[in-house]
Amino acid sequence: MSVARRNHVHVAGQGAVTMVFAHGFGCDQNMWRYLAPAFQDRYRTVLFDLVGSGSSDLQAYDREKYSTLHGHAADVLEIVEEFAEGPVVFVGHSVSAMIGLLASIRAPQRFAAQVMVGPSPCYINDGDYVGGFTRQDIEGLLDTLESNYLGWSSTMAPAIMGAPEQPELGVELTNSFCRTDPEIAKHFARVTFLSDHRADLARSSVPALILQCSDDLIAPCAVGEYMQRTMPNSTLHIIDNVGHCPHMSAPDASTVAMREFFQRLGI
Amino acid sequence: MQYADDGLPAAEVLFEQAACGLLLSAADGRILRANATCCRWLGYHASELSGGMRVQDLLTMGGRVFHQTHWAPLLQMQGSVAEVKLDLLHRDGHTVPMLLNAVRREHAGTVCHELALMVVNDRHRYERELLQARKNAESALAAHREAEKALQESRDVLAQADRRKDEFLATLAHELRNPLAPMRNVLEILRRKQLADAQLLWCRDVLERQLRHMTHLVDDLLEVSRITQGKLALRRQPVELATAVQGAVEAARPMIEAASHQLQLEMPDETLVLDADPTRLTQVILNLLTNAAKYTPAGGHISLRVWREGGEVVLSVRDSGIGIPRQHLASVFEMFSQLAPALERSQGGLGIGLALVRGLVQLHGGTIHAESEGPGRGSEFLVRLPLSPQASPPPQSAQAARFAAEARRRVLVVDDNEDAARSLAMVLELQGHHVCTANDGADAIRMVRSFSPELVLLDIGLPQLNGYEVARHLRRQDWGRSLCLVALTGWGQQQDKRLAAEAGFDQHLTKPVEPDALAAILAQLPSQGGPAGAPDTPLG
Repeated sequence: MSVARRNHVHVAGQGAVTMVFAHGFGCDQNMWRYLAPAFQDRYRTVLFDLVGSGSSDLQAYDREKYSTLHGHAADVLEIVEEFAEGPVVFVGHSVSAMIGLLASIRAPQRFAAQVMVGPSPCYINDGDYVGGFTRQDIEGLLDTLESNYLGWSSTMAPAIMGAPEQPELGVELTNSFCRTDPEIAKHFARVTFLSDHRADLARSSVPALILQCSDDLIAPCAVGEYMQRTMPNSTLHIIDNVGHCPHMSAPDASTVAMREFFQRLGI
Repeated sequence: MQYADDGLPAAEVLFEQAACGLLLSAADGRILRANATCCRWLGYHASELSGGMRVQDLLTMGGRVFHQTHWAPLLQMQGSVAEVKLDLLHRDGHTVPMLLNAVRREHAGTVCHELALMVVNDRHRYERELLQARKNAESALAAHREAEKALQESRDVLAQADRRKDEFLATLAHELRNPLAPMRNVLEILRRKQLADAQLLWCRDVLERQLRHMTHLVDDLLEVSRITQGKLALRRQPVELATAVQGAVEAARPMIEAASHQLQLEMPDETLVLDADPTRLTQVILNLLTNAAKYTPAGGHISLRVWREGGEVVLSVRDSGIGIPRQHLASVFEMFSQLAPALERSQGGLGIGLALVRGLVQLHGGTIHAESEGPGRGSEFLVRLPLSPQASPPPQSAQAARFAAEARRRVLVVDDNEDAARSLAMVLELQGHHVCTANDGADAIRMVRSFSPELVLLDIGLPQLNGYEVARHLRRQDWGRSLCLVALTGWGQQQDKRLAAEAGFDQHLTKPVEPDALAAILAQLPSQGGPAGAPDTPLG
């Protein structure tokens, strides 16, 4: 199984530096459609699906390997090794921001910068730390997933309407959005939302831009601030946005913040 | 009620009272408008919902995460989401299971989300049941797999125990044969002595009878364990059934007569030829006859009938004996299945005779079954065997003369069991032969050189140099080529015979040696000074 097929890797754009985009929990690389094109005139862009999501090879979902985010981090390093020459700019949304962080600790020389979109090192409240959730909340999420995946399972016809206003998002895309194997989705949800990588934050020296939404349920502002305090080489940028996906609902603001950050680093 | 010009309710009324909850929100989830149905279902005033609440506020915590990770990106990418099932929070705190559709639309330059909500209590319960059923099925399946695994493991353990038992029985029978050999020889010596004491004479006869009986038991045990281990090979040839029947009847007659049974024999006129091992076929019939004699009270009636049915021959042995209870009819052929009540009347036995019979019949491609009208009403055993396509057996080789005039021969007996060697030597000496013994291979080779025997009876299991090696060594010598070499072993299988032949033996005898077989070999030795002749039953 090649890395390209395993992770459904797509390469586009031109430039000396390669940007690697990693999607968060719930969808796949399609969520970069409003952000990635903005960089393709100056950078090579590599998009992929985490194993278990989107069009990745579901057969490769080894519960042992992916029982922690380190499994996905190892995949990221393989993708970087195969699809990029020099150090890359890693752009990770949500859980993938932490996956990128783990990869940057293991091979710092392969990373020029990391852009963390709506990251959280720990979702569950713990003493003074405010992650935003209790363990019961996460159980509630698993329950909701279960209710919905009865109809959303990748083995069934997609229960998703067409996109009358955006005909370019044709059937082949609606068929892949958010559809997945229910058992994998539940496993990945557990691994994601029960992970705690607070202790890893200080170990990553790769320059980091934390893109924090002003009103994000999944990653509250307190989490962004905590990260910025803890990571040695980090910048916190708040985007005025409600929700967890600024790259989709506020792509322009996100792009501007990233460009400024790259400029400062001379990338 | 407001009506439109066409007399139907106004659109505003239709919106408010629609059969589903309708919500309009801004892109960030802020509720702009909610219809009356929605308010009623969720327990809110319209002014509360549109007074700063967000769609997210109506969701449980799990639902909010789902909304953020699935719903929002989908709506963003596709412009619509359908059939999302979420628990919405009623104003009083309880949850209402709902199915939601949403469309993203621009109104006057502002992106809005239009939601339709349906209460799905029944569907929700049904789904819960489905999920529960799936969980139950999964745990049942897991339990089933566990049970299967445990069952398979115990099957493996049993099969292994069974194999060990078969091996044990084979080894036991083999080991039991060894001490039988010298005992038999000693009895032969005693038989040749003129015993004056009547009591001693009686003792000798008892010993002889019991030894013969024990030899049979051991033989049966060995053979049945060979069959279960798949190690018994038939030496098939065309055999006339009448000959086998005759041999069996002759052998069984003493026992039948001793019990004052009447034996009735019915044979067809035509010649029936089977492709069979003659010894085994006779053994089958003999075992059935002795079985009948054994389990029939004295003065009973036994019949042996043979007839043809198409391409098969049917052989029936019927008795007027103790019979078999219906529930035991199928199991009488299992090893050690002798019926408890029968045990009291039987003349001993391990209950392996019928198992052996069935094994031999099956090896011949036949079947056997038992019938009985019940206890005290006799039994019938029916054997079916396929007829040979060949019409008639080849002409019987003339019965070899068993006892030629006994010439004085030079015989070397080699056995590491000194009792066995010495007693066999004594038997031969009593017959007038000149006998020496050796107890190991090297000794045997020395003795052959110094004693120049005409016949060497060579045990195979010897210390250091075994019987095969001794035979090969002797055959390599010029003077050893014309020697008559006979192997003596506890193992009488085809494989052992082949090995013996390859090592250069002329014949192979299984312990304990029948005095008649030995006499026949001695009789066939070439006359002194003449060339070696072919033995009667050469090894092949």
